Parts: sequence; C-alpha cells; structure tokens
Amino acid sequence: MKRHFFGVVAALLLFPWLSVNAQQTVTVVPDRTYDKVMESGYLVAAFYEDFPPYSWQEDFTPQGIDVDIARRIAERMGLELRTFWISPDETLEGDLRNSIGVGHYMRRGNIADILMRVPYDKRYAYQQDEMGNLINEMGVLFGPYSEEQWRIAYNTEQLDSVNTIAVLQYHPVGVEMASLPETYLSTFMQGRIRDQVRQFRNMTDAFDALAAGDVSAVMGMQGEIDYHLDRLADQPLAQAETGFPSIGKQQWDVGMAVRFTYRQLGYAIEAEIDGMVREGEVAELYHQHNLSWSLPAYYDQILEPDDAVLELDNVSIDP
Amino acid sequence: MKQLTRISTTFALSALALSIAATSHAVTNEEILRDQQTPEDILSYGMGLNGQRFSPMDSLNKANVNQLTPAWAFSFGGEKQRGQESQPLIKDGVMYVTGSYSRIWAVDARTGEEIWQYDARLPEGIMPCCDVVNRGAAIYGDKVFFGTLDAKMVALDRETGKPVWIKKVADYQEGYAISAAPMVVDGKVITGTAGGEFGVVGKIVAYDAETGDKAWERPTIEGHMGYIYEDGEAVENGITGGEANLTWPGDMWKNGGGAPWLGGTYDEATNSILMGTGNPAPWNSHLRPGDNLFAASRLALNPDDGTIKWHFQTTPNEGWDFDGVNELISFEYEEDGETVHAAATADRNGFFYVLNRENGDFIRGFPFVDKITWASGLNDDGSPIFTEGGRPGNPFGDDAEDGKGETVFAQPSFLGGKNWQPMAYSQNTGLFYVPSNEWSMDIWNEDVTYKKGAAFLGAGFTIKPVNDDYVGVLRAMDPHTGEEVWRHENPAPLWGGVLTTAGGLVFTGTPEGYLKAFDDETGEELWRFNTGSGVVGNPVTWEMDGEQYVSVASGWGGAVPLWGGEVGQIVKDFNQGGMVWTFKLPSSAGNADVASR
Repeated sequence: MKRHFFGVVAALLLFPWLSVNAQQTVTVVPDRTYDKVMESGYLVAAFYEDFPPYSWQEDFTPQGIDVDIARRIAERMGLELRTFWISPDETLEGDLRNSIGVGHYMRRGNIADILMRVPYDKRYAYQQDEMGNLINEMGVLFGPYSEEQWRIAYNTEQLDSVNTIAVLQYHPVGVEMASLPETYLSTFMQGRIRDQVRQFRNMTDAFDALAAGDVSAVMGMQGEIDYHLDRLADQPLAQAETGFPSIGKQQWDVGMAVRFTYRQLGYAIEAEIDGMVREGEVAELYHQHNLSWSLPAYYDQILEPDDAVLELDNVSIDP
Repeated sequence: MKQLTRISTTFALSALALSIAATSHAVTNEEILRDQQTPEDILSYGMGLNGQRFSPMDSLNKANVNQLTPAWAFSFGGEKQRGQESQPLIKDGVMYVTGSYSRIWAVDARTGEEIWQYDARLPEGIMPCCDVVNRGAAIYGDKVFFGTLDAKMVALDRETGKPVWIKKVADYQEGYAISAAPMVVDGKVITGTAGGEFGVVGKIVAYDAETGDKAWERPTIEGHMGYIYEDGEAVENGITGGEANLTWPGDMWKNGGGAPWLGGTYDEATNSILMGTGNPAPWNSHLRPGDNLFAASRLALNPDDGTIKWHFQTTPNEGWDFDGVNELISFEYEEDGETVHAAATADRNGFFYVLNRENGDFIRGFPFVDKITWASGLNDDGSPIFTEGGRPGNPFGDDAEDGKGETVFAQPSFLGGKNWQPMAYSQNTGLFYVPSNEWSMDIWNEDVTYKKGAAFLGAGFTIKPVNDDYVGVLRAMDPHTGEEVWRHENPAPLWGGVLTTAGGLVFTGTPEGYLKAFDDETGEELWRFNTGSGVVGNPVTWEMDGEQYVSVASGWGGAVPLWGGEVGQIVKDFNQGGMVWTFKLPSSAGNADVASR
C-alpha cells in the first residue's frame, strides 16, 4: 500500500504531464455507457493480436474476420471502429479483466467497449466461488456469431488419413505454445502422445512446419485450419474429421463480452449481431474470408426449424 | 543310469516328433463343434464354442484334488514378462499357448518342451491401448490362428509354426488392436477389434480359414455399411441398424465406438455368433442422447454373412464406461416341460442377464454384485431403471450452473462388476461361477476452461475398493433365482477366468499367484498352488494317456495395474511373469516318470 502510494507520487513528480492518466489509472475506468459511446461516434473493440484468421495487423492495418464483424456492427450503429489489441492471458478470465474489466496492470483503466471472440457459455458466465459470488462478474457474455471446434490438419504425403488421434502416437503433431491443444495432446491417456507434440510460437509457424514435412499434423481451431490450408493451398495438406476423445466440449459458440456496467451497450450490439446472423451477413463475411461458418448452437434452441429468417442456403458454408 | 535316461529321453522325443507328424490331422468343423464332449483335445477358446468352460471329466474330483501336483512348467522366456491372459489349446499331444506381445508357442503336452515359437513382428514403438495381452488362439485344419496387437490375423502351420497367411484386420495407428482369441465357425476365422479408447468404430471380420480371403465385415455401430466379399470384391450387405441417426444425434455415429474387443461365443442350435460390444464414444453421454446402438450390447450374428439377427443392449446411452463385451454363454434348462434355449452374461454394469438366445428376448436379470448405484433394477424388457443423479452430470447443461466440477460416485467401477475374465457354467450344478469384483469409482468433470477463444474440458475417474479386506469375489450364481449360492472373497481383484468340471470342481487364479480349486456346491477351497506370479489366464483341463491334466498361464498384468487407481496399492508389489503350469494327479507310473526327469 505504502509502496504503491510512493510509486504514484514519484510518477507525478517525475512526469507531471502524466497526471491525468495516472489519476484514471488509480481510480476509474472510462465511463463509456451506451449514450456516451453513441455520442463519441466510435466503438472500441478489443481483439487478440497475431491471431489469423480472426484478428491481426498487417502494416498497422487491422485484418481478420473478427475485425470485419466488429466494423460492420459499428457501421450499423453509425459509429467508427477503433481497435484495441491484447495479448491472451492464461485464461479467459484474465482476458476479460485486461480488455473490458479494469485494464491490464500496466495500463489500468485503459479498456475497450467490447471484446471479440469470447466463447458464449452460460455455465461459464454463472460460475461461482465458494462464497457464492460470481467468478466472472467483470464481463457479460452475449451475441454468439459463430460456432468453433477443434480440428486436425495433416500432410497428405506423410499420412493417408487421421481417422483417430491414435495416429498422433506415431507421428509428430504441431501445436501452438501454451494452447489448449498442447495441454490436451500432452496429457491424453497418461501422456501417450506427449513425445510427438511439437510446440510452435504461433499457428503460422506450425503450418509452415506442416507444409515442410517437419510435423505430420497440426491441431487447431476450425477457422485457423481453414485459413492456413487456404494460405498453403499449393501444399499437400488436408483437414481430418477426427473426433477428440475426452474433450467434453467439442464445439462451442463464439460471441462477445461487454463490461458488466455497460449492459445497455451490450443489448444494442446484441441486436445488431443478431440481425447480422439472421440476415446471413455474418455467413457472407466468413465466406469472403474463405472460412467455413456454422450457426451457433444458441440459435438451435431459439429458432424453429422452418424459421423464415434462416432460409439461408449458407447456414453452413464450406469454403 | 543318468546317461541311459538321457538317451531314452532323446529317443522318446524323436519318436514323439514322428508320432506328432503321423497323428496330427486336419481339424474339422465337426470336431470343433464337439469340442466340449471330447476331453482329449481343446480346440476353442471357452473349451467349446458355447464358452461354458465346463469339462465332463471327473477323474479329478473333490476327493483327490488335494493331491494335484505339477507335471511340468514352461517359461515364455525373454524380457516380456507381463499380462498372461491366455487360454491354452490342446491337440494331438501338443499345447498351443499364446503370450503377451503377440507370441505363440507349440509345446509338447507330455513334457513341456518347446516345439516351436512364433513372435509377431510388432511395429517399432507400437502403443496398444490397454496393455499387451493376448487371450488365446483357435485351431482349424492344419493351422492355428491368433490376433496381434497391431490388429493382424495370423494363420500358422500347426506343425512348423511358419506363417501361412497374415491379414491386416485394421490399422493399428488408428488405435485398433486385437487381444481376443479368434473363433472358427464353419471354416471361417472370426475376430472382433479392440480400440474403444480412441473412438474407433468397432467391427467384426471373418476370413476364409484356408486362404485368408476376407469373407465378410460387420461394423457394430448403427449407420455403417456391412460387406460380404465375392471374388475379392466388397458387396454391400446392409447398413448396421438399418440406417444412421435412429439412436444417435447428428453425426456422432461416425466415431461411435462399440469395439467388440473380447471376441465371442458360438451357438450351434441357433447358428449364431454371440458377441458383445464396448462403450460408445465420446465419453460424455449427454452429447449423444439416445440409446446409441449397438454400443454396450450383445449381438447375435449369422456366421455366414455377418448380418445381425438380434441385439440386446445392457446399458443404453452408456455413460460410465460399462463395456458390453462380456461373454454370452449358451445353456439349456427345462421349464414347464420345455427346453429353454438360454444364454447368460454377467455385465460390467453389475447385472446378470438371462436371455432367450433364439430372439434376444430378456428372460430375467439380477445384480451379481453387492451394490449398484447407477440403476435401481431392470424393467420387464431388461432395460435398466436409471437412478436419478446416478449418471455423471452434463458439464454443459443448465443444471450445472454452479460451475463446480461435479463428482459422481458410481458402483461398480468402470472396470466392471466383472471384466474380461470369463465365468463358467456347470452342467452338473446348473450354476454360473462368476469372477467378480467389488469396487467403485468417482467420476468428475473438470471445470470448463477457455483460452484465446477456445474451449476445453476434461474428465477423470478414480477407482476405489469398496471393502477394506477384499475386492475380488468368486460367486456361484443361480441363473433361475439370482441367488448367490456361495462366495469366496479375495484381497486383490479377480482377473482370471474360471473352469468347472463334472468332478465337482471350480478352478480360478488370483493376482496373488495362486491357482485354486473350490467345491462347486459349497465354495470350500480344496487346493491351491503358488505359481510364482499372478494368475490372470484361463485354466483348462484335458485328458492325455488316460489321465486328467490341468493347465494355466501365470504372469501378472492386464488392466488393473494400468488403471487401478487406489486399487493399485493392493497390487503394486505383485511380480510379473510368463509361464504355463501343468498339473495332474500323481499316478504310480506317471509319478516315477516325472521324478526321474
């Protein structure tokens, strides 16, 4: 406490021009309620950095399907999109805290209005600690716009098929460092696949190694597999239909999160994204990116099979 | 004197070799069908295709079993001393016995001397799912057949041990393996496949015993096409279950599991292969609402073309890892002056079922373990009455909103009220002798984890003993009343098969190393012998030179040390091994003969 106080005082003495920011850092997050967002004329959306095909920057230009979706949401609301880049924390909890909760500890109070690519899961949202308090109270999850799943891509010159992950006991498999596939493949069946797991800094490196034949397979998300297979279309690569035993959640919905104090903003954005899903605009954006898209399971529960809004042929698009 | 003995032994050996060559003849289908009635040979797993493991011999009996004495022992040799779950076969004075790591030996049944050994050349670094065991071979014609850990079927020349044909049944790299003994019915070698842990779809495959040509193939999961083979061409022979999606949602049936990893039995009266199937995949039963046929079921198949005649599912929408693979043993009984063609099975799920084997109808069922938590009983059609809260919870359901990793206590454990180890049926007492275990498990779902836009969720099992002083229980069960006539408790889990004889004896082994004989009416232990390593094989008995012999493989291993959880504490000091022990009563001549060696 004392040290913290002196730190702030020291900062003010040394860098008096920082005083406004410093004050915000210590006490408040920006007060961007729905009205203030609309008044400001822009929407700040947080994205994971270096995460193709979802979000990344090329020559300082934001790219990716999540960026396009956020931009369309902003446009529909008459706003300009401003991007906010985050590095993934160890879990979603950290991401919510850093992006829309209180801000990263290096830049307290510096937060976005929404975070994109947040798994939409009621159970996660309502997780409680021993005292019955919500664990993830910072973020309100809403607006599922896609369904994701794990997939295996493989080098067809090295493997005929990957019908089960048992094959990965015998052939090297690439994963992103510190990712869930790394955890899964390293621990499945008491570590039977562990010796074949090769770590890469990111999925681009993993797929380059796959194309070069340094690994025989890569495990990643559907969107990542689609993107990199498209990027390396001249290489002998294919996607497998493998199931993943002992992974309880094989598919999950992806949506957004907003700070718990800005629910009204969340409702407004939810209305836009819901319209975009129902009108086929989200599917079309995925299509433009050469990515497959599946209707979130959320809609299975709220739409009748013959619901008019979903007379889209492209409910599930294969690129 | 010694010199003389050696010469005479050598002479005897060459004479024997000649006599083998002279007397061994092509085993016919009729001989296999009569296997149970011909004590001088053992041609099939189960000592008869019906799997009763009952011998009509009675020269060894309650009065003299206490004199049972080793005649010889044979070491499998090498460094592969683990998991001997085999059952020896006997023909023309030769024992054919398989060992772990896909090995098989022909041994002189009189002396225990090796005639030949065949080691399957397993791929470097192969990682079969569930230990390295092999449960036995089959004999037909001039060949002996066995399956390998890399999912091949091997046919060897019975006299030389040289391979005649080798067929790849499935791809081991996808997780398939074969550990069960094959069966030969009407000239076809029939096998199931193992590998449920990886979600492979189970299948049953038949080969022409002479040529190794594939005859038919039957997937065990609804929606998959079966085939018969005509002149090497696959011809569609109907979709298993008629069509996809009847009892499975979405495309879950594509990776549906149902591995028939324990092989099966054959009933001549109805001309049916009776085979069980493993648990469905994926593990979370809430992801696949529906019965999930034909996982966790017993199937009756036509041996000519592999079509399914009927099925009986023991655990619909299975969610506890209760494989339905356990053996279905055919037996007859009289009721209201009529003969009932019945078949019985003791399931992993803790219930004992008696079925009408003509149509698969449920006759009766009852628990054969002390406690079952997941179901409170059986309905009139044999389906379970599920206990509320007895199923591991849906980690994604609305009922799981507290967000805690939920733990469900379940009994029996996933290793089952009875596992692979076959029970025996006595035609004398009309009782089934069931090698069972009393253990439970905690099943928990971990909290879902999200990271960088992705979801992950794991689950775990811990297996625990129920009682302080025993896990294994050898039970005599009355198939008509469900009464437990007697029980014998054993500290370690029972993992070996049972043999019963007209001499009023019940044999089984223990992981502690003993082969034991019991009184079939009282359960009194009459004899025991310490084989030096855990007995997890199937004892057999046969007749040679007018004397009754008993043999069993010894060598601790199998699934318990791999998956045993807290039970592992009980077995951690048991030593591995690899031997066949053969016993007989001391006869005056035979006794002197043995002593002089």
